This record gives sequence, C-alpha cells and structure tokens, in this order.
Amino acid sequence: MKNIKQYRLIILFCLCFLAVANVNAQSDWPVPAKENENMSPFLFDDDMVLEGRISYENSCTSCHGTPGQDDFTPMAPPPGDPASDQFQLQTDGALFHKIKMGRGSMPKFEDAFADDELWNIVAYIRSFNKDYKQPLPNMEGVEIPEYSMKLSFDDNIDKLVVKVFAKNQPQPEVSIAAYVMGTFGKYLLGKSQTNELGIAYIDVDPTMPGDEEGKLSVMVKASKGFGRAKMNEEMVMVEPTIRKSAIEGRHIWSTDKMAPVWLKVSFFITVFGVWFVLLFIVIGLRNINKANKEEA
Amino acid sequence: MNETITKELSESQIDQDLLKNVNWGGKFKLWLAFLAVSLIICLYYYYQQLQNGLGVTGLHDYVSWGIYISNFVFFVATSLIGMLISSVLGLMNVSWVKPLARIAELVAVAFAMVAGLIIITDMGRPDRLLNVFMHGRVQSPIVWDIAVVVTYVAISVLLLYIPMLPDIALCRDKLKNVPKWQQKMYKFLALGWSGKAKQFKIMHNYTRILLILIIPIALSIHTVTSWLFAMTLRSGWDSPIFGPYFVSGAFVAGCAAVIIAMYFFQKNYKLKDYITVDHFDRMGRLLVLVALVYVYFNINEIIVPGYKANTADAKHVHEMLYGHESVMFWLVQLGGLVIPFLLILFRPMRRPLPLTLISIIVLAGAWFKRVLIVVPTQLTPYYPIQNVPENWTHYSPTLPEIAITVASFILVLLIMTVLAKLFPIIPIWEVKEEINHNKK
Amino acid sequence: MANKNDKSRRKFLQKLGVAGASAVAGSALLLQGCSDSNKSSGNKVKVLTADNKLVEVDVAHLKPGDKIQDLSYLQERGREGIPGKKFVMVVDLAKCKNARKCMKACQSAHQLKPEMHHLNVLEMEDPVRDTSYWMPKTCQHCDNPPCVSVCPVDATFKRQDGIVLIDNERCIGCRFCVAACPYSARTFNWTEPKNSEEFAEVTYDMELNVPQKKGTVTKCAFSADRVREGKLPYCVSACPNGVYYFGDQNEDLVTNGTTKKTVRLSALLDNNAAYTLMPELGTKPSVYYLPPRESKG
Repeated sequence: MKNIKQYRLIILFCLCFLAVANVNAQSDWPVPAKENENMSPFLFDDDMVLEGRISYENSCTSCHGTPGQDDFTPMAPPPGDPASDQFQLQTDGALFHKIKMGRGSMPKFEDAFADDELWNIVAYIRSFNKDYKQPLPNMEGVEIPEYSMKLSFDDNIDKLVVKVFAKNQPQPEVSIAAYVMGTFGKYLLGKSQTNELGIAYIDVDPTMPGDEEGKLSVMVKASKGFGRAKMNEEMVMVEPTIRKSAIEGRHIWSTDKMAPVWLKVSFFITVFGVWFVLLFIVIGLRNINKANKEEA
Repeated sequence: MNETITKELSESQIDQDLLKNVNWGGKFKLWLAFLAVSLIICLYYYYQQLQNGLGVTGLHDYVSWGIYISNFVFFVATSLIGMLISSVLGLMNVSWVKPLARIAELVAVAFAMVAGLIIITDMGRPDRLLNVFMHGRVQSPIVWDIAVVVTYVAISVLLLYIPMLPDIALCRDKLKNVPKWQQKMYKFLALGWSGKAKQFKIMHNYTRILLILIIPIALSIHTVTSWLFAMTLRSGWDSPIFGPYFVSGAFVAGCAAVIIAMYFFQKNYKLKDYITVDHFDRMGRLLVLVALVYVYFNINEIIVPGYKANTADAKHVHEMLYGHESVMFWLVQLGGLVIPFLLILFRPMRRPLPLTLISIIVLAGAWFKRVLIVVPTQLTPYYPIQNVPENWTHYSPTLPEIAITVASFILVLLIMTVLAKLFPIIPIWEVKEEINHNKK
Repeated sequence: MANKNDKSRRKFLQKLGVAGASAVAGSALLLQGCSDSNKSSGNKVKVLTADNKLVEVDVAHLKPGDKIQDLSYLQERGREGIPGKKFVMVVDLAKCKNARKCMKACQSAHQLKPEMHHLNVLEMEDPVRDTSYWMPKTCQHCDNPPCVSVCPVDATFKRQDGIVLIDNERCIGCRFCVAACPYSARTFNWTEPKNSEEFAEVTYDMELNVPQKKGTVTKCAFSADRVREGKLPYCVSACPNGVYYFGDQNEDLVTNGTTKKTVRLSALLDNNAAYTLMPELGTKPSVYYLPPRESKG
C-alpha cells in the first residue's frame, strides 16, 4: 500500500477494464449513495480489529482467503482479496453495506451479525491498509443517550417484551433485535421498534426447546443513531425439555460396561460352563494314575 | 463289523506296523529342515510387515480384509472336520472311521491352532493383542470368536490326547531306542496307564463328554466366524444363512484335507492295511454328501439376492457372475466344487490317487472360495470409491501377504508331521479291539 | 479535524468501541462457559501455553489455545463428551460445487495423507434426472452405529453428545469397524502417518485424533476438539458455498458454516425434504442431507 497514490491511476484503469469485462465482483456492485456515505460510529481500535479478525476467519476466509495473500477461492466472479485496492478504495459504508446485504454468491450477513460486529469486520479489513484514515462522522451537538433495557416475557401472547429507557425515560423508535444464543451462533428471534411507551414486542415460538426449566438464553440489542445497548439474559419462555444423553440404556453398540444383560449373562455362562467341564476333565485325568494304585 | 480292515493281523504285527513311523529318520529330519528354513524365509516378510505396517500388503481402505482373513476362515473351516468324523460319526458308532479319527483330530488341532495364530498377522497393532483380554467387549463377534477358537483348540487337543493314552503307554513300553527326552515325555503323558478296566472306563467317559461338548463348540466356532461377516450391513455378507453356509463349506474343505492327509500317511508310513482303499472310497462318498449340501447353500446364496436384485446386491451378484470376479467365481464353483463332486460319483475316481488329486483341487478351491467370500463384497460398497489411488478399486495380494499365507500352511504341515512322528497316527488299541471283536 | 472537539469526540467513540468489543468477547465467553460446565475445578492439568511454556492450570481456567499435555485427562474428557448436547450436521447438496475446501481443511487438521478421507466429496449419479451431483460424505455419527457394535476393545464408542470417536491408544487395528461401516466412512493408517516424526512428542487428543498412529483406524470426529471450544467443525467453517450447517439437536438450532446464519433445525429439515443416507439400514445417522436441485446457474 506504500505506493498507492502512484499506482492509483493504473489500478483505476485496470478496475475499469475489469468492470467492462464483467469479471469483477466489486466494481459493478452499486451501493446506494446514503449507504456509501455511512460511517462507523465506533473508532477502529485494536480490540475491534481483533474481534473483526475472529469473525472474518470464521465467515470470510473460505472465499476471500487471508487478506494480503491473494489466496481467495477461484470463483466466478472472483471474490477478491480484501487487502487489495479494489476493496480499500471503497468507502467504509460501501464495505459495510456489501457485507450486510450480500449479492449472488456473496452471502447476506445481516442476520448473522449485528451492526457493531459488521463494523468489526470493516475495521479488520482496514487494518491491512497503512494509508487508511478513518473518516469520522460529525458529532458536534450530538448527544448520545445511554440506554438501559428491561426484559420480560408475556406468556399469554408468547411475546418477549423489551422496555428501553434512558435516564429513566421510556425511549420510542429504538430498533430492537432479539436473538437466542445457540451453541455456534445466535438465532434471530425477531426485530422490532419501541412504541411511544418505549416498549417493543418480539414473537417467541413456543415450540422452541428450552433447557430443563424452559429457559432460553436471550440476547437483545437496542440501537438508535449512535445510541446502543446490549443485554444477555436467561429467561423462562418455552416448555422445559429434558436433555437426554445419546447413550442412555443398554444396546449392542454400548460400551462393554453397558452391554445388554442377556448377552453378558449368556456369554459368560457358556464360556465358564465349557471351561469348567474342561477343567473337570483335566483334573479328573489324575484318576487314571490313581486307578493303578487302587487295583495294585 | 469292520469291513474296511479285512486282512488278518496279529497284535504284534499291528504294534510293529503302527509304531514304525514313530522315529526320527534322516529323511524326516531333512523334511523338517526344509520346512523350518522355508518358515524362516516367510517369517522374514512378517518381520517386514511389523516394521512397516500393513502397508506392505495389498490391502487398502476399501478392501481392508484380504487373504489374511480368508486364511483365517479357511483354517477354521478345515479344522471343523475333527468334529464331524470323530464326534458325529464316532457317536453314531460308525466303525470304519475309527482308524481315521486320529488323523481327523490331528487336522483339527493343527488347523485350529494356526487359525488362532494367523489372525494376529491381520492386526494393525499386534503389540496390543492383550487389549482384547483387558478391554474385551462382550458384544463383539471377534471376542466371541477368540473365546470359541481357544475353547475349540483346547477340546481338540484333549480329544486327540485322551483316546491316545493307551497308545502313549504302548510307546512308553515298546519304544526303547528313542531319545531319552522322548521316553520321558511318553512316561509323563501316559499318566501311569496300565490298561486297567477302570482306566478304560475313565477314558471312555471323558472322551464321550468331550465328543458331545465339541459338537456345539465346533458349530459355533464356524458360525461365529461367519458372523464376522453376517453381522455387518454389507451386501454379500448381510445374509442369515451365513452360519450353516460356512459350516457346510467347512466340511467340504475338511474332508478334502483329511483325504490328502490319509494318502500322505498311507504312502509314507506304509499303512496300506490300515488305511485301505475302502477307507478312501467311503471318505469319497462322505465328500460327495457334504459337497452336495454345500452346492445347495451356494445356490441359495446367489439365487436369492440375484432374483430380487436390490441395488447393492444386484451389483455384487453381477460382479460375481459376469464381472471382475467371474473368472475366479466360476473356476471355484465349477472346477473346485461341482466337477469334483460329479467325478467322485464314479467309483474309479474314489480310488486313493484320483481321490487325493481331486481333494487337492477341492481344498485349493475351498481357499479361493474364502477369498471370494471376503473380498468382492468390500469392492462393491454402497457409496462409490472415489478420490483414492487407482489401485484401490481392486485388490491383489503382495509378496509379503502370500509369503505369510505360505508360512501358515508350512506351520500346519510342521505341527501335523511332528505330532505324527511323536505319536502313532492310527489308534492302535482301537484297531486291535476291532480285530479281536471281528474274530469273535 | 484539528479542533478542540475532536479530542473529546474521539474519546467518546473510543468508549463505544470498547463497549462493542466487550460485547462480542462476552458471547465468546458464554460458549466457553457451556463447554466447561462439566469440569470440576481443583483438577489440575499440564498445559503448553501459546508462548511454549509448560504450566499447570486448573481445568476450569483452560484457554482455547492451550495445548493440554495430560494424556489421561484428555482421554477421560474425550470419552465423556459434552453433556446436554446432541450434535448434528445438515448438508445442503444443492449448494455443493465441489470446491473441496472442506476436504483440505479436514486433512490438514487431522494430519491425513492425501488418499485418506474423513470427509470425501463424491460425485453421485442421479438416476432419475440422469445427472450427477456432489455429495460430501462424512462419518454419519449414527445413533445405532454398526462400527461401534463390532469393536472388540471399546476403542470406538459413542459419547453422550452423539459423537462417535476412536481411541487410538486402544485400537488394535482389526479393521472390523471398517468392514462394518456401510458408509465407508473409516480409513486406516496403513503406513507411518504423515509428519509422524514432527508429531512424535505431541500428546494424543482423541477429539482431534492427532497424532495419527500407524496401524490404527481413523475417521471423522465432528471436530470434537473445536466443538468443545464452541467453534464449528473444520470442514463446516471452511466451506465457501454455505453447504454445511452444524449445531445441537437439543436446541433445535444449526448454524451455517459460511454465512454464520443460525436457523431452526426442524424447519430446515421440514422445508427442504431432508433425508438421511440409507435410512432402511436403521443406523439412524446424525447427518441430514437436503436434496440436490437443478442448478440455478
């Protein structure tokens, strides 16, 4: 990236050429102007880069390869290397939009990642560009509210009830996203907005299996402008399910310890029975010599 | 009653004839040396396998059981004849088999022992053999097989030994020119036998218990061996008639082996008066009977899946009848079973030499038949063989595999010839008893 | 941007940024927590840390990057499995384009030679439409596993979380399991394994089945080592085409390895006419397949 300015012209030319040849995944992907100018509300720091790297390695490496290594998967159109100029010349907003919305074989990550997590990935991609300076939004006069949330569950209507406050005042028009935390990812329960009372309702499918007490691990995110909040809670929302071990009972495939009783009994009775008879005969062979003495 | 031994023979003549073979002649030593040297050469290949792993064989992920397992099945099968001849026919008082009982028992002991050994050559980690006893899992047919093979060897050894007590005592009393250790051995093994009526009674009782006990054990040894295959979900193996199919096949191989052994002992030990032409004729008829049963099972094994032709079975049957395995299949079925069977129907073919030659072919066919049971099923898996080296779509044994197989056969010969040199091969006291009985 | 406000704004943004990062770290810790729930503390194990130091740590404080040097601990943990879980995989055949990234990731994770497959992408004939499709085939982690039934020494076994594993410290190399598996999912170390000298000193972890051992059987382990850390299996996260879903049947949630999208397992199976391989054999696989469809272009 050192000589980026010198080569910008050539690269731009190349990009144009590729766009004409219709083999490049980036150049002919229009981003709405508003999205294009969108800026991260977070300052890209080392923590964000680190988090972004984890998400990138889990979700992006399989196609885009390791940034800077040009080892992306050969596909049509080619996914490209995020460290390359065709990525780095785009705005943060454009990268954010493309990751979020996806297109063609590029998956849509809207449901998989929350906005802050998407920005982490952008931060990680930017960390490969030494010349990058993060454009910051104009924050003058903006006051960022500190949200707090209260979660409850209404079992009459099977809805998760989210109340959002800031300084003890209910907050309307806050975007709410609720997730159930699975072992490997979070399942989007639903998205909603708070009403004028600062309350949002999210449907919960009562057939979802909970734990032994019917609890689900819920994560709720609230956001409005630059204001954000996040909350994890274990909540009783669904029917309790008993989690059975996959190896309960005695089966042919169980370990020796858990072998079917009939099998164990019949095996050992047969083997010991036969060997008992054999032992009886071997010991009894002494009688042949004894017979000599008896008659003599 | 005994029609097979017709010649008038005096007791001292019998003793002389039948004890003659118990000695260590120069010719025998040469034969022993030959066997030992070839065994060592073959064992060198096993050493190689131990060093480099099973990779020295032609085995691979798709044919992970090859001729080692075929060997095992073959040896177990052949050893079953001891049960048929000495036990089933013995208990039914079929008197003509009496002079052959010891040969059959010898075959049983030798083949069963080697079967137990040969299975170790198939293990990827023979150093962990003890795991089977430390962590043995009662649900595994391998554990059943080990239990039952060990038991069968033990019973067969006892069944060889106990009825031999009077003959061992005879060796102890009559053989004065044998090495000292041998005399000591006879003295020890004879257990002070002196021919008392009570001793005979004990011997008869024990023999009878063993003869009854060996029937279920022998049936289960080969049924369990067949279960190594039948308990899987692979087409070609997944068959409920595998137990009786294996047992009937075992008698064919065993009969052939006994006939070959009979011929060998008759010629080398000059036992024409004891192993007679009539014995061969009868063994030939027995072979016809067991071969007939085996042909019947073979027809079942092929026709039933072939008729229904479910996807995987159809492929397997097709490979057998017309495909890659067809040459071996038809050679084994026709050349190794049907044609010999038809030939032995004619009396001249049941004379010693032709019958022995036919038996050799039958025995060879029986070995290849085991290969046909083990290998082709694995070559027709449910899911295609892909992304592996080209030679993984077939199987050809390598030199080490063949050498180790040869070693196992040498071992059988070694055990049989050494035992036949240490002990009389024909039960002397029984022959005497029969002749005395006939005289009366 | 050199005005007075700039500094304070930056500070504020920084605060938010840290908040965002800690939120994600929080979720990672949650996964750690669930995988550690079966361990009692006070149990110490030897560990080789990321900077190559051998230390003793409490089982409860193990970090994902730590290399545990304690064979008996690893053996015990490997046999016990993770309580409350029942791992399943869903393979969407319509999406598989034979990129083989999964095979590569699998072979490098488990130190397999090129001809050895825990995971094999097969070209299958479709007799109805006279075409072919790609089918990744792993161990099916059957609930009635024929391979486990026949093992003479308990070397291969099924855990409470449904994963079928192999203990290569126990395996005698009889290959009965290879013969018994109708899916041909097992492979054998016929010769000295790949890089065996390099791995000679590594402590054996049955969940990863590394180091591989000559003369023993090996097969897909559903990446039990990764799953323990709350990560998706090697193959699942390597796929570029969104073929694999992996998750916990008890939660009814599976996560796609490519998009990271988590969906309801039951809905995914119902809506796509999912099937298992050869259900007529009664093996009850834990791997579900979504049927291949006509390529959309």
